[in-house]
Amino acid sequence: MKISLANRIEVGLFRHKILVLMLFIITSAFFLFQATQIRLDASFTKNIPLNHSYMKTYLKHRANFGGANNILISVCDSDGDIFNADFFNALKGVHDKLFFIPGVDRIQVKSLFSPNTRFVEVVEDGFAGGPVIPADFQPTEAGLAIVKGNIEKAGIVGSIVADDYSCAMVKAALLEFNPDTGEKLDTLEIAEKLEQEVRQEYEHNNISVHIIGFAKMVGDVAEGAKGVVLFFALAIAITAVMVYIFSHSIRLTILPILCSLVAVVWQMGMLSSLGFGLDPMSILIPFLVFAIGVSHGVQMINSVVKKVASGLTPASAAQASFRALLIPGGVALLSDTVGFLTLLSIDIGIIKELAITASIGVAMIILTNLVLLPVLLSFTNIKVNAKVGQLSEQSAVWSFMAGFASKGPARVILLVTAILFVVGFYKGQGLKIGELHAGAPALHESSRYNQDTFLITDRYAISVDYMSVIIETNANACTYYDTMSTIDRFQWQMENIPGVQSAVSLASISKIVNAGYNEGNPKWRVIPRNQQTLVQSIARVPSSSGLLNSDCSVMPVILFLEDHKADTINTVIEAVKATANELGSEQVQFKLASGPVGVMAATNEAVEEAQLPMMLYVYGAVIALCLISFRSIRATLVVVLPLYVVSTLAQWLMTALDIGLTVSTLPVIALGVGIGVDYGIYILSTMSIKLKEGLNVHDAYLEALKERGSAVLITGLTLAIGVSTWFFSDLKFQVDMGILLTFMFLVNMLAAIIVLPALSAFLWPTKGHDKK
Amino acid sequence: MRLSVAFAVIYFISLSPVFADTTASTIAKQIPATESPLASKSLLLDISPIGKNKLVAVGQHGHILVSSDGNKWRQANVPVQVTLTSVFFLNEELGWAVGHDSTILHSQDGGLNWQVQQYLPLLEKPLFDVYFKDSQQGIAVGAYGQVFRTLDGGNTWKSEFHQEFLLADDVEYLNEVKAEDEAAYLDEIAFILPHFNGLVQDGHSLFLLGETGLLAKSDDFGITWQQFDAFYQGSFFSLARTKAGNVLVAGLRGHVYRSDKRSSQWNEISTDTTALLNDIVFANDQRIFILGNNGMLLVSTDDGESFSKRPQQDGKTLIAGVWFKGKLIAVSDVGIKVIDLAQ
Repeated sequence: MKISLANRIEVGLFRHKILVLMLFIITSAFFLFQATQIRLDASFTKNIPLNHSYMKTYLKHRANFGGANNILISVCDSDGDIFNADFFNALKGVHDKLFFIPGVDRIQVKSLFSPNTRFVEVVEDGFAGGPVIPADFQPTEAGLAIVKGNIEKAGIVGSIVADDYSCAMVKAALLEFNPDTGEKLDTLEIAEKLEQEVRQEYEHNNISVHIIGFAKMVGDVAEGAKGVVLFFALAIAITAVMVYIFSHSIRLTILPILCSLVAVVWQMGMLSSLGFGLDPMSILIPFLVFAIGVSHGVQMINSVVKKVASGLTPASAAQASFRALLIPGGVALLSDTVGFLTLLSIDIGIIKELAITASIGVAMIILTNLVLLPVLLSFTNIKVNAKVGQLSEQSAVWSFMAGFASKGPARVILLVTAILFVVGFYKGQGLKIGELHAGAPALHESSRYNQDTFLITDRYAISVDYMSVIIETNANACTYYDTMSTIDRFQWQMENIPGVQSAVSLASISKIVNAGYNEGNPKWRVIPRNQQTLVQSIARVPSSSGLLNSDCSVMPVILFLEDHKADTINTVIEAVKATANELGSEQVQFKLASGPVGVMAATNEAVEEAQLPMMLYVYGAVIALCLISFRSIRATLVVVLPLYVVSTLAQWLMTALDIGLTVSTLPVIALGVGIGVDYGIYILSTMSIKLKEGLNVHDAYLEALKERGSAVLITGLTLAIGVSTWFFSDLKFQVDMGILLTFMFLVNMLAAIIVLPALSAFLWPTKGHDKK
Repeated sequence: MRLSVAFAVIYFISLSPVFADTTASTIAKQIPATESPLASKSLLLDISPIGKNKLVAVGQHGHILVSSDGNKWRQANVPVQVTLTSVFFLNEELGWAVGHDSTILHSQDGGLNWQVQQYLPLLEKPLFDVYFKDSQQGIAVGAYGQVFRTLDGGNTWKSEFHQEFLLADDVEYLNEVKAEDEAAYLDEIAFILPHFNGLVQDGHSLFLLGETGLLAKSDDFGITWQQFDAFYQGSFFSLARTKAGNVLVAGLRGHVYRSDKRSSQWNEISTDTTALLNDIVFANDQRIFILGNNGMLLVSTDDGESFSKRPQQDGKTLIAGVWFKGKLIAVSDVGIKVIDLAQ
């Protein structure tokens, strides 16, 4: 029955091949049009695990405390200090430009030039104060001297002005929606404006402009992602050369590449039709689809050429190849798809999107490379070049390799593999969850964005790596000594945790203000026990400070961390949990977490939690598919065991190269397994037929090599080359993904041609020898 | 000598109701200070010598630290987490520390272990200084004219109300209130007096300094006080007699006054700063230092006739200091600061 079904499809397809071709052309035209409509799409919420408990806290209070969506612009003067007319003109220009960019919350634009930047000083009969930059300010020597004095009195060195007076800051928060149009804010457009209208305009001579913030980071990532087009062209070119070397025929080179490109077009078109955009994170998927497509295309032309060489007409050779490859190719592609679909189990929008993008792409390959390609091949007039498949006949190479399937060498191979596995397993335990490097993890440390980040964190007492612990309590809680002193104790205990540089909360501000109300006498730097005094000490702290909501029932303690490395985050999170347990009560609840590091902590936890189930699912799927297609436990074992060894080695590689398990590297593990299984399936599908025919393992493997060996080698190389162009990406995560995928593809191939036969030698031992 | 001698009317106010109240509600639970790595690097408010070879510093969260070299600090066992503002050691063993919530702590082992002698959070007032003339008789002063006295080494402390620091109008007003309503009277006197910021022993006399230019002297260990005529309306935080016998007093907004031992005239010394000045410290040579907010450090080499500025780069508030083994050891809002001031 099964065979008749495959047969019927086959017969139907090839009988109506013109019609089939027409259908493909029409569909391709449609999807091509759709694909041109695709937009680059990046949003903050997609990157975070929205259902994680930390993120629920974050989302609940985002309206009050803003998210992490701020913009910091540091204007610096390389000639010593900021006190010159040129600098102040530039700073004023940047301030005004930022103020008028639609989507910037104008109330919260803060710099030396904002009217709410004031100084207060204690005098004998109370306070005196005014704006730091007086209304009648002139950038003359006298005027600048006054401003300098006011800056010192205002206590804004380290926040608005750099510690060494070499820079001054303009800060702003972004709104969710563009107030002019009422539409969702286009982050990339803001990033563009910041680059064009702020940096380009004011950066000249000795004045430099340094911009950081989520919007700018995304803009830079999108900019870097555009370089992908070049890599894509490069990948196509190298792949074409590879396929040509294999096929010695331009026609046979063009066809699989064309079919793979059709798969990419269909994928993009379908994404666009479904309303998805292309995220910088998943922009690599088209590469992957292309590479997978080519690798299966190579299997197809390999088969067709062999069959033509054995005397069939191109048409019937194509038909026969379709029949031969539909099952192993289909199984392999299905397992790829399933591998990608397991990623849906991870509750992070961007990974889900990647799962959908990739599985659509791979599903398309089933149509384009297992159906369209043989149909196209059947039209061609393939001349059997004597050189084609030459390698296949080079029995010297193949017979040497076939030796892997005899017990002697197999023993050595398995021993080495076992040692590698044990070492890899042991070393792989050191794998860290999360980002291991400073700066924005998506970008290289040497990128302008990260350099700007380093400059700002270096020159100001500002850290971009902060986490807010949200304290949920009753209305007006900030007017009660008990609540405030509990927050104060919590903050103090957190400040003592290694990795926490400093902390701020309404409680700590209240202490400083209280000292201010008492002549600036540091002995009054306490939370006032007297309620009226306490109210006085917090009355002037606006809710826009981000330290309290309108009725102060919610107050964050903001922890500034040394960095956002996984170890640091874990230490702090654990300390927060322990202290929250100790100090928390019904009335005063300490909730994790907001701020950029809070988001990272949640993401790390989500990634860590997802790791095991994802591996179980992807291996479960691979095992199930192997069992179905080979109907043999032994066969399943020889395919899956090498795969597992390679996964373990990949963890070792990550540990050795300091690549953390993150939103971008976690999917790679699933992809690597899903795609890595292809080689084993192709080799074993021939082998198991031969074994059933009664050949021993050595001979069966030799036959498999002759039939599929060169194609498998080419496949591994094509895939590896396709992804290795990412090494040159401007984006750090693409480089990491590129390294890992290249490793997975190459080493899985080696495992399939070396470890798989060695395992087989022991799993099908006596039977083979008996027959001989 | 134009000293105005005021009436020394002292009211002993019974404190028993206050003690009774403190046993109730959340205030009763005293939380011991926890050992914290940053204790010596966070807000400390006073530093004093213990004998010749040890130092003690006190600060926020009930931190008390002892050291024998000024670099390595060991945290003492303290039964409360209140912010401590001042510490005094009579000899190598006996010491007292005071702070917010009118807390008075006592140590009998050179500062390693402390016991509570007084804790009155319901008063909602801090104490700012403590001084003992022997192991039995001591006096602690603080905000809103608080004075506590002990005659038994601190086992019992009695509150005193020093009416002589009231303005004439206020005396009249208080008498009226007292005649009408005793409770209202007690409410009024709770916050009517100026802050007492410091006690300075000077031979057999005691100086008291405080808010609104308050400067007074007592020859009977604080039973009666003679106020100096006001010559400044801001607060004073530190007073000291120089080696040559002249008196220096420092206070708000960079104000320093000097009184020649031969005359009672207070002359203002120009300092060219508006920083609040917290403490006067003598080096073992001729130098006199004045420590101030925002890293201000003033130096005099002429017995306080003139000062020059030596502001500290980090701008941290220098709150108190001692001269110890050739270095200035100061406490600040970032804890202990060892300042090398080699000439």
